[in-house]
Amino acid sequence: MKPTHHLDDATVLSYSSGALPGALAVVASAHLERCATCRDRLLDADRIGGLLLQQQRVEPPTEEARSAMLARLDSEPVIAPEQVGDMVEDHDPDRLPHALHPWFGHSMRALRWRRVAPGVQRIRATGIGGGDLMLLRIAPGSKLPLHSHGGSELTMILDGAYDDMLGHFGPGDVADLDGEILHQPVTSPGVPCICVAATDAPLKFSGWVARALQPLFGF
Amino acid sequence: MTHAINNTPLDAHYWSAQMSAVSAQRDRASFMRIYDHFAPLLKRYLRNLGVPDPEADELVQEALLTLWRKAGMFDPTRASLSTWLFRVARNLYIDHVRREPHWLPVQEGLDRLDHAESVRIDSQPESSLDQDLLLQAIDRLPAIQAKLVRMCYLESKSHSEISSELDMPLGSVKSSLRRAFAKLQRSMRAPR
Repeated sequence: MKPTHHLDDATVLSYSSGALPGALAVVASAHLERCATCRDRLLDADRIGGLLLQQQRVEPPTEEARSAMLARLDSEPVIAPEQVGDMVEDHDPDRLPHALHPWFGHSMRALRWRRVAPGVQRIRATGIGGGDLMLLRIAPGSKLPLHSHGGSELTMILDGAYDDMLGHFGPGDVADLDGEILHQPVTSPGVPCICVAATDAPLKFSGWVARALQPLFGF
Repeated sequence: MTHAINNTPLDAHYWSAQMSAVSAQRDRASFMRIYDHFAPLLKRYLRNLGVPDPEADELVQEALLTLWRKAGMFDPTRASLSTWLFRVARNLYIDHVRREPHWLPVQEGLDRLDHAESVRIDSQPESSLDQDLLLQAIDRLPAIQAKLVRMCYLESKSHSEISSELDMPLGSVKSSLRRAFAKLQRSMRAPR
């Protein structure tokens, strides 16, 4: 199914310029794998980068630099033009997006969840530079308390769904929310809602999870 | 509407022909024409991002070697050569300088998806006309939006870094960048 909730324009620009903090970039990449619309928007953003690259004023390369380049070329093995692999988009619902593999493995079923509150389980990625990254698994039919987020935060639904004032969020959709937006997600009945969430401000993020869940789950 | 295709180095068709020669005949003269034009631009870009001089030279060579190896992946209907090389250089910067070892494999996966797509759908080639329109649109951006776009691309600053450096609320940084991107996208979609 095609995603209906996409990356914010400001996030696309930041991703394109290589400035999106690590954890947010992982979630953005996971969405890009599943969303041709956002890949096209990213290409638009990359065109801006390409043009700014062209616009710089420079001197021609030195003879020394040119010969160094040619020497590197000589030492390159002669290989056939690279073959283009098959479409890597796969539709196995158990398979996590490629961008998440280094942090959480390949398989949704194989995940080892830790309970953090009744109906809420979590796995935190360790060793990620630039923010905080975690998977959350929230029981079907749960109503989260009204909350807003500080800083930048990006959440992608991997399985299940939730609804809030912004609409229905299903697999592949991202919630790319401004810090000021107040919302109250309600997970859909049936299967748990599994999502991957990232923020650029680790302490704040743990803060909002704790704050958001505290009145409901009492921890 | 008619327009003259000029033969300045900005001409996307010229670079696309050089790339075909590299890809099909491993043509070193064409490769060096690409090198002469783009290597100094890539180096300036990396130096501006704070990459020290010897390392920047190394990354420029790396970017051009990537081009030599992967010229067959270049698809002029999808992106101009400057866009393509911008992606290559940005990816090498994130891999080498920001040391995010997972970035390159993920980007290669996205490239393959893009490639499969452009075969499937009828994409518009990125022509020199598109580039001129985009250039004009960048020049017409209000000063603050132009500044933010440049800080984003040419200094690779995150929204929060820009926000604290300019003492501007994070929300305003984001909304200015959104407005700028919307204008620039419209210029790329301008009717011909």
